[in-house]
Amino acid sequence: MLEKLCLLNGASGDEKNVREFIINEIKDYCTYRVDKLGNLICEKKGAGSPKSKIMIAAHMDEVALIVTAIRADGSLAFSAVGGIEPSTIMGTRVEINGHNGVIGSAAVHNLSKSEKEKSPEMSALYIDIGAETKEEAEQYVSLGNIAYFRSEFVRFGDGKIRCKAIDDRAGCEMMIEMIKGEIPFDTTFVFTVQEEIGTRGAKTAAFSVNPDIAIVLETTTAADIPLSDGDKKVCLQKGGAVVSFMDRSTIYDRELYRLAFDTAKKNNIPVQTKSVVAGGNDSGAIHISRDGVRTMAISVPCRYLHSPSCVADMADIKACLDLCKAVLCEIGNI
Amino acid sequence: MDINNVLKALCSEGGVSGNEKAAAEVALSYLKKYDENAFIKNNSVFATIGNGEKKVLLDAHIDRIGFIVTHITEDGFLKVAPCGGIDKRFLPALQLIIHGKKDIAGTVVSIPPHLASDNKPLDFDEAYIDTGYSKEELEKIVSLGDNVSFCSPFAELLGTRVSASALDDRSGVAVILYALELLSKENINCTLQILFSSEEEVGERGAATGAFSFNPDIAIAVDVSFAYASGEKEEKCGKMGKGAMIGIAPSLDRELSNELINIAREKNIPYQIEVMNGRTGTNADRFAINREGALSSTISIPLKYMHTPVEVVDTRDIISCAELIAEFVKGVK
Repeated sequence: MLEKLCLLNGASGDEKNVREFIINEIKDYCTYRVDKLGNLICEKKGAGSPKSKIMIAAHMDEVALIVTAIRADGSLAFSAVGGIEPSTIMGTRVEINGHNGVIGSAAVHNLSKSEKEKSPEMSALYIDIGAETKEEAEQYVSLGNIAYFRSEFVRFGDGKIRCKAIDDRAGCEMMIEMIKGEIPFDTTFVFTVQEEIGTRGAKTAAFSVNPDIAIVLETTTAADIPLSDGDKKVCLQKGGAVVSFMDRSTIYDRELYRLAFDTAKKNNIPVQTKSVVAGGNDSGAIHISRDGVRTMAISVPCRYLHSPSCVADMADIKACLDLCKAVLCEIGNI
Repeated sequence: MDINNVLKALCSEGGVSGNEKAAAEVALSYLKKYDENAFIKNNSVFATIGNGEKKVLLDAHIDRIGFIVTHITEDGFLKVAPCGGIDKRFLPALQLIIHGKKDIAGTVVSIPPHLASDNKPLDFDEAYIDTGYSKEELEKIVSLGDNVSFCSPFAELLGTRVSASALDDRSGVAVILYALELLSKENINCTLQILFSSEEEVGERGAATGAFSFNPDIAIAVDVSFAYASGEKEEKCGKMGKGAMIGIAPSLDRELSNELINIAREKNIPYQIEVMNGRTGTNADRFAINREGALSSTISIPLKYMHTPVEVVDTRDIISCAELIAEFVKGVK
């Protein structure tokens, strides 16, 4: 399921494929509606009614590239949709309207010494689909078309996966599983749009759902690589679900934060927090919706986020799902 | 010969400089059709066709750029050194294949924004490879000295253009195989010597030993050269799809190069001239000064994005190069 979800193409503003796939999966297990922006809002009946209205959210969109110009030589100029580091996409494959493309740049042999020692600028990169002229390229590509990372879903190492778009199809997958299963309390599951360009879908979804408590299922940066030490690692793979106390968009509800750790302990679920205040997610929009929403984020520690090569650990994804289910049992009573 | 299939088969193999066996075996299997005694020695592939007086060597290098494993860290990451000229600018999040006891996936680490301090690329010393294994598990699969190559499957672009890593110089191998097919119905009046040489990317070493073994009179290095693409200097590049690039350089034999140009003109084979100002940076540099010397030239396939995982060639140029070689060989008495 996660493999299928990750390989679907769905950039911010272009989430249709992902939404339709999810609707097909969940339609027999809940009632749902799609709002004007494209958020998929699902009402799932639980064993009982919660004391407070509960919303769980994950975003459907992924980072990608948008074509901004077709040049005389048939190459395509592009901008990033969402935060992408140019060095992670230089020399990689993309897919655009079903056609193969590559992200080109001048050969290393022909660079000056100082050019070799500088990371590429996004503006120096372009997409080559093999067209020889602008006219040829225009037969296959139009301005505003999206180029997607072309990456396989690779299982490797000890329980690891590598693919594009694990951010946040991992969250989508957890929600689909919960909707298909039994849950203790009535819950609104929201598959949001446009998170990567500023948590825009979450804003309208939170307004219309109007929850008291929200859980955001996400991925977050794991910098547990040899180039970082101690707290700079942020969080660790195989360290379990990441529950945040603060990031750049949200100071999380302190009681819910404690409840998450207590619940994890009670249920023997591996849990950790983020040791750096960085990043942000749909919580930023949700927790200040209307007159405020008590919000918790549960995230999968993920390496090389926003690249064609996101790396996650299956054990962490399981921990996040287990923790979300266990927390749901608790928050229905508060 | 289906050029795309041959390129796909050749580019799917590892074969980083010094460890070319896997790729050499694939090339050898194609060569057996023309010389059942073709063999691999020192990771280079050798074949001989015909028994004329003049010895004509056709060469393409079988190695590809990559890395070699130098260290395994306590937490199961690999450290590597480059084999050949690798561009540091695209290292972060680079997808790799580690050729250990079995092939496993690897990914170069990338530094997340909160740790990135400047605009400098990762140094090779910082380019740790994430294997997803603990050190203990990893050491059962990977040893120091194992090679690592780009993971970048063959892809067809629009028209006749294709992309893969290792098109430098597996497309040269394809040129020679296609030329042999063109020649298979012809009388060859020379001794045709085929060399798919090892270790070009680390200093044309397989070419040196291979040429010593063959001792040719005439030698042609079939390699790739720069095709114009955005960011390159137009006057320093060939043009993709515009034919075989025939080398002219002080280190090459001018008469041989002129002969190739004349043949291309006479036979209407698309060609372009590539002028270099000293040595060529190809195996031809070695052939020219092998033993007592050989008449040497270069025929190159224009290629975009050299030494990246997404090199691009136009198969029309592969055909032009092969036709030119076949016509030249036919004319050698």
